[in-house]
Amino acid sequence: MNHYFKKIRVVSPEQKLDKVVNLWLKDGIIKYCSAKDTEIDKNTTVIPSEKFVASPGFFDMHVHLREPGDEQKEDVLTGCESAANGGFTGICCMPNTVPAIDHPTVVEFIKGKAKDNIVDVNISAAITIKREGKYLAPMLELNDYGVAFFTDDGKAVQNSNIMKRAFEYAGSKDLLLSQHCEDELMTEGFSMNEGMVSTKLGLKGYPSVAEEVILTRDIILAEYCGNRRYHAQHISTAGSVNIIRKAKDKGLRVTCEVAPHHFSLPDTLIESYDTNFKMNPPLRTEKDIEALKEGLADGTIDCIASDHAPHTLYEKEVEYEKAPNGIIGLETSLGISMSYLVNTGLLTINQLIEKMSVNPRKILGLQKIIIKESEKANLTIFAPNEDWIVDTDLFKSKSRNTPYNGMKLKGKPRFVINNNKIYCSNL
Amino acid sequence: MPEETLSHPYLLSSEDLNYDDILKIFKKAKYFMDNIQSVKKFDDLKGVTVGLAFFESSTRTKLSFELSAKRLSADVFSFQSSSSSLSKGESLLDTLRTIEAMEVQVFIVRHQNSGVPVFLQKNTSGIVINAGDGKHEHPTQALLDAFTLHRRFKKIDGLKVCIIGDILHSRVARSNVNTLKTLGAELAFCSPGTLLPRELNVWNVNIIDELDDAVDWADVVMVLRLQRERMDSGLIPSVKEFSKYYGITFKHFTKKPELVLLHPGPVNYGIELDYLLSSYPNVLIQTQVKHGVFIRMALLSLLAKNLGH
Repeated sequence: MNHYFKKIRVVSPEQKLDKVVNLWLKDGIIKYCSAKDTEIDKNTTVIPSEKFVASPGFFDMHVHLREPGDEQKEDVLTGCESAANGGFTGICCMPNTVPAIDHPTVVEFIKGKAKDNIVDVNISAAITIKREGKYLAPMLELNDYGVAFFTDDGKAVQNSNIMKRAFEYAGSKDLLLSQHCEDELMTEGFSMNEGMVSTKLGLKGYPSVAEEVILTRDIILAEYCGNRRYHAQHISTAGSVNIIRKAKDKGLRVTCEVAPHHFSLPDTLIESYDTNFKMNPPLRTEKDIEALKEGLADGTIDCIASDHAPHTLYEKEVEYEKAPNGIIGLETSLGISMSYLVNTGLLTINQLIEKMSVNPRKILGLQKIIIKESEKANLTIFAPNEDWIVDTDLFKSKSRNTPYNGMKLKGKPRFVINNNKIYCSNL
Repeated sequence: MPEETLSHPYLLSSEDLNYDDILKIFKKAKYFMDNIQSVKKFDDLKGVTVGLAFFESSTRTKLSFELSAKRLSADVFSFQSSSSSLSKGESLLDTLRTIEAMEVQVFIVRHQNSGVPVFLQKNTSGIVINAGDGKHEHPTQALLDAFTLHRRFKKIDGLKVCIIGDILHSRVARSNVNTLKTLGAELAFCSPGTLLPRELNVWNVNIIDELDDAVDWADVVMVLRLQRERMDSGLIPSVKEFSKYYGITFKHFTKKPELVLLHPGPVNYGIELDYLLSSYPNVLIQTQVKHGVFIRMALLSLLAKNLGH
């Protein structure tokens, strides 16, 4: 795979790099990266790239690959192809599989499936056995198999004492604990955000405080146990942004992510009872959206993660209250973020790259990507100003549960390059 | 003269009806009411197949719709979820397609989940009428309630109506708020804090904390049924306490004899309403039931004009 991207804008915030160059990739290595022209060999494809940006490969730290156990929704290979199509060279998969990722055998199984893929698959594991919130998973052994990120994703650890123990236990290796913040006693039977729209639609509400109570508790525990590392998954409320901001000001080692649907879609859309607006945490209000955007702009929110959650059509085409939570996001995450954050002037392209590549890698302790000659090429190439219309027929995911089908976006993934492979997005 | 129709070819929520629609329905209901003795059976729905798809149990609403459709000469068949393939795991959408394949044109739907009529209307070319969906809406109940008040007071504009009890779980309350507001009524809620929805400013209603104050304020009280499971789920301390602070008794009528009371039924006598009141002239529960049939005949007749037969 030899390619010559002519006149491409290269942006790498960690290197303070932002310039137009000719970028030659040869045998998976950056052979040449300079503003001047150079002689290239015959078997190199030249790609005119005036309208493209090349950045360190994007990383989505919240993906449900569904394998093992729910292969009718997604599997490791389709999930990876979906990631590549959406502009990601790396993902972190969540442990809510069947069986759950709470033992090295499951880790090894997934690693085997993801071997030699263009997309690097990082694996998170459960904090507790079977994600039941009762007994700690073998975190030290899992760490020996490469897991450094633990979460009972989708089912927050409810018992404060277990969570305290988890912080104490993970402390010996400074492992990262992460939670989907939800006080389940407050959200039982929920279908959407508790507020004006749930009042009108007669759907049971999930109050913003159900997220904030667990988030606050966990931060208190992390601090109490010796300022442990903690990552809040997909925060969705204005209150959560404030809680994280205060914790960071205090010097606590707290990070968080936001999902594109939470900063682009308000809960008023649920008036259609379209189950593609149903997820957990639920869509919130305009006020929350504003606070999330503010948190993204001021750095309170570290990264954007899609919470890619595939479900089959027949599971979603049901009564709203009976539909499973979640939407797919890998193939729209970049486009939504460009359209709602960068092309509106809220973030610069540099800031977006920090949130979609640099920060997630940093939080997970992954190797830094450097764009310079003789380094390995791990790149996302996208067209920041290209208009396109989301068409789920072109998706590589097995599932189609997205509310964005037919939506016009500005900013489109074009290529990903990693592990001596190139993938051209068909979106 | 062009035939009168409504602004939407279905009735999924009370928001589908504007002021003119409601008055058209009232006018037609009055017509049926005035002529039922002489005509007995009308032919507005001749050749139309009406399916009563009741996925949740119901007595009065189902009987009322069935009778309405039959008095308009429709072919009516009913569908019980307990005896259907739903209990064998068939999806709601499949059930709809199955019924539709039998050339049913009008679906009258009652379901325990909010939003099901919207979901079904998106998936059928027939007409869907919401006969009560979860905690969302029960638009024909609101129509018959408003019709009852309209006949009693001659006009609803400026009328003060207080809805009392479990607002949070009530589809009747939600529909009545919309319909009565469209007609110009002023509304209030009186309810324990745990049975009130959040962010009530969506409706712009008054909240009256004390029942005595609510009765003082109101021309009409609309008393809702208290489901016993609300106590089991811990939303109220006990039925006894609810009854003491939110139950309507004779003393309210002694203080204000002109007060008018509506209740969508079925009534829990002794909880939200004193049994002694069941035959009090201003307690209009039976009138509501009677009006229900004419309102539903009017609605079916006006909507059926969209079928183009």
